[in-house]
Amino acid sequence: MITTVPKRGTEDRAAERRARGVALARAARRGDTLAMSDLLDHLIPYVTTICGPIALDARQDAVQETLVVVFRALRGLDEPEALYGWVRAIAVREAVRIARRAVRDVPTEWADPPAPGDPQLAADIDDVLARLSPEHRAVLVLRDVEGLDEQTAADLLGVPEGTVKSRLHRARAGFRRMWTA
Amino acid sequence: MSKPHEPDNIEPPDTDLDLDTNADTDLGTEPIDAVGRLRVLIAGIPGARIVEGIVDAPFADVWAVMGDLEHGFGRFQPDMRHVRVLRRDGDRIEAHARSRYGMRARFDGVLRPGWCWLQSRFVIIGMAAVPEHGRTRVALTGGVRVPGRAAIVPVGATRELRRGLVRLGQAVEEG
Repeated sequence: MITTVPKRGTEDRAAERRARGVALARAARRGDTLAMSDLLDHLIPYVTTICGPIALDARQDAVQETLVVVFRALRGLDEPEALYGWVRAIAVREAVRIARRAVRDVPTEWADPPAPGDPQLAADIDDVLARLSPEHRAVLVLRDVEGLDEQTAADLLGVPEGTVKSRLHRARAGFRRMWTA
Repeated sequence: MSKPHEPDNIEPPDTDLDLDTNADTDLGTEPIDAVGRLRVLIAGIPGARIVEGIVDAPFADVWAVMGDLEHGFGRFQPDMRHVRVLRRDGDRIEAHARSRYGMRARFDGVLRPGWCWLQSRFVIIGMAAVPEHGRTRVALTGGVRVPGRAAIVPVGATRELRRGLVRLGQAVEEG
């Protein structure tokens, strides 16, 4: 009989990180400002993971504004165990808002893809992402980076599940098309 | 040469505007710098104020004063003239301070280049510095703490922070 020894893999480390974040959030809510400082260090990489692909060039604003909202509202977080889902929802919302603001004067809507041969098509992944709207990027992040199902992503974004499906389909198809053009 | 500019932000910043940050991702510069971190933290501390200004000296010279708790810190924070670092473990520190009024306090905190956060039962101190075009942007926060809580008594806090910023510039200039 073969027995498998559970290995301490990525999931274990992620669980440890999350447990530490929850513990810091609890201490911060009790008024420990040093825990707040540690929680800030702890959350920055996670928030950046969410905000970066959505806000792109505006990610610095998105990260900071997300964290301001998080810390301002931390005392109202009744269930510290829900820290990451709560932070994720704020990060997506802020990243989309900041990205919309950033591109208001520069239409990047996806309905107008560049023509084949456009030199930008050979650019890196950021350039391709930049041609998606913030809402499409948010769907990609939630589904393909965070691994949420469509219903959960829809709830988080405040749109019907069908909208998430269609955005995801168009985002993926467009991404592939531009990437391979 | 290190004459400080008048603090350009003496109230809690409008955090919907003019925020910048740092990152460990592949997207370029860091998503949030130390001054940005300080702005975030005060958002979670009722009563906290922040002052920011530019010291016309390189970051290394400025942090040599700000980050030297035992010899430099008291030069711009007179209430903290007598500080003794009791323990260091990486960037974690434990310090003992005695104010000019004789009050004693034990602080726990974090001290690393560009960033300092200290708390005692009755006092909170936050400092940040980042290089900016050969000069140094600095930010200070803190004050009398509502005991045991993440809150600062706002009375007079901004005035004291502004004075601290001016004194910091003088201390850096004096070397």
